[in-house]
Amino acid sequence: MERVELNREGLVLPATAPNVAADHEEIDRTPVRTYWQLARQRFVQHRLAVIALVVLVVLVALAYIVPLVTGPLFGRTNLAKIDAPATLEAPLGYDELGRNTAVRLMKATQTSLTIGFAAVLIIVGVGSLVGSIAGYMGGIVDNLLMRFVDIVLSLPVLFIILMIVALFGAGNVWVVIIAIGITGWTLAARLIRAEFLALREADFVQAARALGAGHRRIVLRHMLPAAMAPLVVAAALGVADSVITEAALSFLGFGISSPEASLGNMLTNAQEYFYSAPIRAVYPGLVLVLIVLCASFLGDGLRDALDPRQRIGK
Amino acid sequence: MARYVFRRTIQALPIFFGISVIVFMVIHLAPGSPVDRFRVPRVSPAQIQRLIELYGLDKPILQQYVSWVTTFVQVWRPEAWGYSFLDGQPVLEKVVTRAPATLRLMGTALAVTVLLAIPVGVLAAVKQYSWTDKIITTFATVGYAIPSFLLGIYILFFGGVVLPQWTGGRFGFPLFGMESFGKQGDVLDLAWHLVLPVTSLAIQQISGWARFMRSSMLEVLHQDYVRTAKAKGLPRGRVLGKHALRNALIPVVTLLGLSIPGLLGGAAITETIFSYPGLGSMFVESVGSRDYPVVLALTMLGGFTVVFGNLLADILYGVVDPRIKY
Repeated sequence: MERVELNREGLVLPATAPNVAADHEEIDRTPVRTYWQLARQRFVQHRLAVIALVVLVVLVALAYIVPLVTGPLFGRTNLAKIDAPATLEAPLGYDELGRNTAVRLMKATQTSLTIGFAAVLIIVGVGSLVGSIAGYMGGIVDNLLMRFVDIVLSLPVLFIILMIVALFGAGNVWVVIIAIGITGWTLAARLIRAEFLALREADFVQAARALGAGHRRIVLRHMLPAAMAPLVVAAALGVADSVITEAALSFLGFGISSPEASLGNMLTNAQEYFYSAPIRAVYPGLVLVLIVLCASFLGDGLRDALDPRQRIGK
Repeated sequence: MARYVFRRTIQALPIFFGISVIVFMVIHLAPGSPVDRFRVPRVSPAQIQRLIELYGLDKPILQQYVSWVTTFVQVWRPEAWGYSFLDGQPVLEKVVTRAPATLRLMGTALAVTVLLAIPVGVLAAVKQYSWTDKIITTFATVGYAIPSFLLGIYILFFGGVVLPQWTGGRFGFPLFGMESFGKQGDVLDLAWHLVLPVTSLAIQQISGWARFMRSSMLEVLHQDYVRTAKAKGLPRGRVLGKHALRNALIPVVTLLGLSIPGLLGGAAITETIFSYPGLGSMFVESVGSRDYPVVLALTMLGGFTVVFGNLLADILYGVVDPRIKY
C-alpha cells in the first residue's frame, strides 16, 4: 500500500519529492475571490459608475417615496397658490394651477421610471427568450428567428411606437410600456444569441449534458447565468432609452397626459410658459438628463465589472 | 461589386415584406375601424355598410393585405397610396410635396455632422488625455445623453425667445415654420429657418460621430504602420492625414447609413417642435387624427429609409475598404 499525501488544494504530492516543504511555501495564499467579489472590486474602481449608482439610487428612492408620502398632492390644484414662489414645503414653487412643482416632478419621475423598468422587463424577457432559443437550437430555427430580428430591427422604431400608442389608446400606461418593449428587444436577443453560440460547446455545458441534464436545466441553470453580463449592460442602457422614448411620446401628446404627471408632459406644459417662467422647462429636463447620463455611466461600469477578462488595478 | 449591390438589394426584399406585414397587422389589430369617422347621426347604417364593402373591409384579411400591397407598390399611379382622410388629397402627392423640406433638414444636419464631428474627433484622438480631449469628450458624452426633443425645446427657447430679448428684438431666430410669409423661395430665408432645427437635430449626431471618430482614430494611431511612418521621418501632417486618417475613416463611413434611422426619428420630433412642414410633423399629425392612409404610407417610407440606410452602410464599407472582397 502506498502512502498518499494531500496538500491544501487536495493535490496528490509525489511522496519522493525532496523539498515538499519548500513547494508548500510557494502556494498562492491570496484568498480565492468569487466572480461576484471580483466584479464588485472592478466596479468600485469605476469612480463615475459609483457616483452614477449613488445618484440613481437617491433619485429612485425620492421618486418612489415622495409620492407615497404625499399621496394625491401632485395633482391637487390650489387657486391661492398659482405661480407662488418657493417655500419650505414646495422647494420648486407652484405651477400655473397652483400645484406643488417639486412633488409633481417626483411623481413624474416615478411614472417615467416605472415605464422604463417595465419596458426593460419586456425587452430582457423577450430578448433572452428569442436569443436563447436561436443560440441553443441553432440551424434553421436560428436562421428563421434571426431573419425576424432583422425585420424588427429595420422597423422605423419611433414611427411604429407612435402608431401603436396612438391607435391602441393614447395615454394608457400599459400600451406605452408594451409599445416600447416589443420594438426594443432585438439588441438583447442578438447579445444572448451570440453568448449562447459560444457557450453551447463550452466544457461546463458539455459536462452538464454528460450528467444527463435536460435542455431546460442546461439553458436556465447553466447557460443563462453565464450569458448574463451583456444582458445586464443592455438592460441598464435600455432603461435610459425607454425613459427617453416615454418622455418623447408624452411630449408629443400620445403618452401620459395631464392630470397624471410624466417628465414629457411636464415639458409640454412648461413650453407654454417660456416667457413668464422658463425655469419650469429646466426641472423635468434636468431629471431626464440625469437619468440618462447615470444609466450610461452605470452601463460602462457594469460592462467592465462583469467582464472576467478585465484586470483589477492596484 | 455590381453583383454584390444587386444581391444585397434582393436580400432586402424579404425585409420589406416583413415590415409591410407587421405594419399592416398593427393597423388591423388596432381597435376602431377606418369607417368610424363616418359614424355620425346623419350617416345611415346602410351607408356605413356600403362604405365597408367599398373599402373591402369585409374581405378576409389576407385578401385585404394583398390588395393593399399590390396597389401600394404602383408608385407611378398618383392614387397608389390612397387618399388622405383629412383633405382627400392623394397621399403620394402630399408626401412628394412635403419630402423636400425633410430631405433638406436631414441632409443639412448630416452635412453639418460630418463637417464638424470628423475634425473634432480627430483632434481629440491626436491630443489624447489633453485638456482639449477632455473638453471634447465631456461635451460629446453630455451631448449624446440629451434627448433630441429636450434639446429642441431649449434651443427654440434660447434662439427664439432669449436672444431677441437680449438684443432688444433686433436679432433672433424664427420660432416656427420653414419660410417667412411673402418670402417663398428665398434661399437665405430658408436657411435662416433651418438654423435652429438643424442644430437641435445635429448635436446628438455630432456627439455620437465625434466619439466614434475619436476611438477609431486612436485605434489606428497605435498601429505599427503609423509608427513606421513616424519612424521614417515623415512630416506629422502626412502621417496623420495620409496614414492614419484615411484608415480611421473606414468604419466611420458606415455611420452615414446607420445614422439614418436616428435622424428620421429625430426629424419627426424636431419638425413637430419647430412646426416645420416636413414628413415628420406630417406623420405626428396624421397619427394623431387617425389618418390611416398617410400613417401607412409614411411608416412604410420610414422602413424603406432604414433598410436603404443599412444597405448603404454595407455597400459603402465595401467601397472604401479594399480588404473587403465579395
